[in-house]
Amino acid sequence: MSDTPEIRLHHVPWSRSFRILWLLEELGLDYDIAWHDIRKGDMQEPGYKAKSPAGRAPALEIDDQVIFESGAITQYLAETFRLGALGRPPHAPERIAYLQWISYAETMAGVIEQLNINHVFLRDPSQASPVVIKLNTARLKGTLAGMEALLGDQEYLLPSGFSAADTMMGFNLFAAPYFVKLDAFPRLAAYKARIEARPAFRRAAARDGVQTFYDRDFYPVPGPVDKNVDKLKG
Amino acid sequence: MMRLHHVPQSRSMRILWLLNEIGAPFEVVSYPFDKTLRSAEFLTLSPAGRVPALEIEGERMFESGAIAEYLCERFPEAGLGRAPGSPDRMAWLTWLHFAETVTQHLAALTQQHLALREPAQRSPIVTQLEAARLGKCLAAIERRLSTPVENRDHLLTSGFSACDVAVGQAVYIARHFHRLDGFPELSAWYARITARPAFQASLPAPEARLYTRDFYPPLEETA
Ligand SMILES: N[C@@H](CCC(=O)N[C@@H](CS)C(=O)NCC(=O)O)C(=O)O
Ligand SMILES: N[C@@H](CCC(=O)N[C@@H](CS)C(=O)NCC(=O)O)C(=O)O
Repeated sequence: MSDTPEIRLHHVPWSRSFRILWLLEELGLDYDIAWHDIRKGDMQEPGYKAKSPAGRAPALEIDDQVIFESGAITQYLAETFRLGALGRPPHAPERIAYLQWISYAETMAGVIEQLNINHVFLRDPSQASPVVIKLNTARLKGTLAGMEALLGDQEYLLPSGFSAADTMMGFNLFAAPYFVKLDAFPRLAAYKARIEARPAFRRAAARDGVQTFYDRDFYPVPGPVDKNVDKLKG
Repeated sequence: MMRLHHVPQSRSMRILWLLNEIGAPFEVVSYPFDKTLRSAEFLTLSPAGRVPALEIEGERMFESGAIAEYLCERFPEAGLGRAPGSPDRMAWLTWLHFAETVTQHLAALTQQHLALREPAQRSPIVTQLEAARLGKCLAAIERRLSTPVENRDHLLTSGFSACDVAVGQAVYIARHFHRLDGFPELSAWYARITARPAFQASLPAPEARLYTRDFYPPLEETA
């Protein structure tokens, strides 16, 4: 790889690829963005699938190589640039926690994705299952509670300070509050404010633009169908 | 000694297989797939109450992806990892993480078909959507194994690795929700890696199976 690699991020706004957008800003790398629209299906075209074979974002081109999966890109960038300052290498004392957080971010994102599908992508709300929404909202709360407990009084996810584990949470903490209020998680809420105040985060958010994915501030769990109301309706 | 906290046919099977490949001594604690995983005691092992969790040399770990990477680094002689700087590093990271992308579809399908017992609670469209997305992941694996010049025997050009274990275990579960017909390279690869003794040793006893049916087709709209 060259000293000043040519980097292109394949990006869907307000999605997991924000993790990489933010990390690239933290690393101070030059890059350009190829924008994709998740609703238009342009990621299903053969040209894109040659780069990201499941047709997902993010994918990252570095010179003549392509890498996909946000966790893989995060690890690769962190161990390759800025002398590894944002990673924790094999055998480092925080290696376990570092790897754990990177994976845990994806555990949480998987639950968020199911909520996105049920609340946002299914246009006809009757196609969604209230039980599934309820279940996944509870699972999201569970992963947030796990994070709140592990975070403790630390400023960042790792005791030694900011790392690429934090940038993995960039998408999660943007999306989670649409489904679960963070009031019950004071440490998480403070952590969210802290990461959002970082200059690199702000630069990334400015490039990402104002979100239009969610059309309301909060998506509550649908209440039980009121049988009496149904009766009244005949 | 290492101790794996395990639910048969769950993601912890990935770590069981990996440990069997490594060959260092370990013991297994098996759990039913139920509220036991939410007990205060289990939550000290895994904060979101999920398997796998691993105890290793006085440390406790959760997250199958993290555990897999850590074990590869701890036991380099097993040849399952690709260290930073090695030529296949990028691909190794990619395919290891990709196993989790596949598994998230499996988790959604398992939730629909197995966890929700009442048909009215299920969402047929979600089962259709998730089976289709799973199919795209299988197509991605097929594409990876079929290269223009020479087909790959394993996900990495440099040969068998933890990627085959992680993605292979995902495909083992995926067969319950998507047929492998139409993916000849994937099928040949799957046969190759599951013939390994370490995989065979990771299979559940018949009565411990989570998936009691061979195949769960997408649900039809009832309305
Ligand atoms: N585990 C993958 C997931 C990637 C993923 O699913 N990305 C979404 C955007 S957040 C996507 O491309 N979805 C399009 C689709 O599923 O067809 C990662 O972390 O990169
Ligand atoms: N990303 C995590 C996910 C772990 C996970 O969700 N495991 C499932 C079994 S495959 C589980 O324990 N589910 C129990 C539950 O969520 O109640 C990993 O790879 O370890």
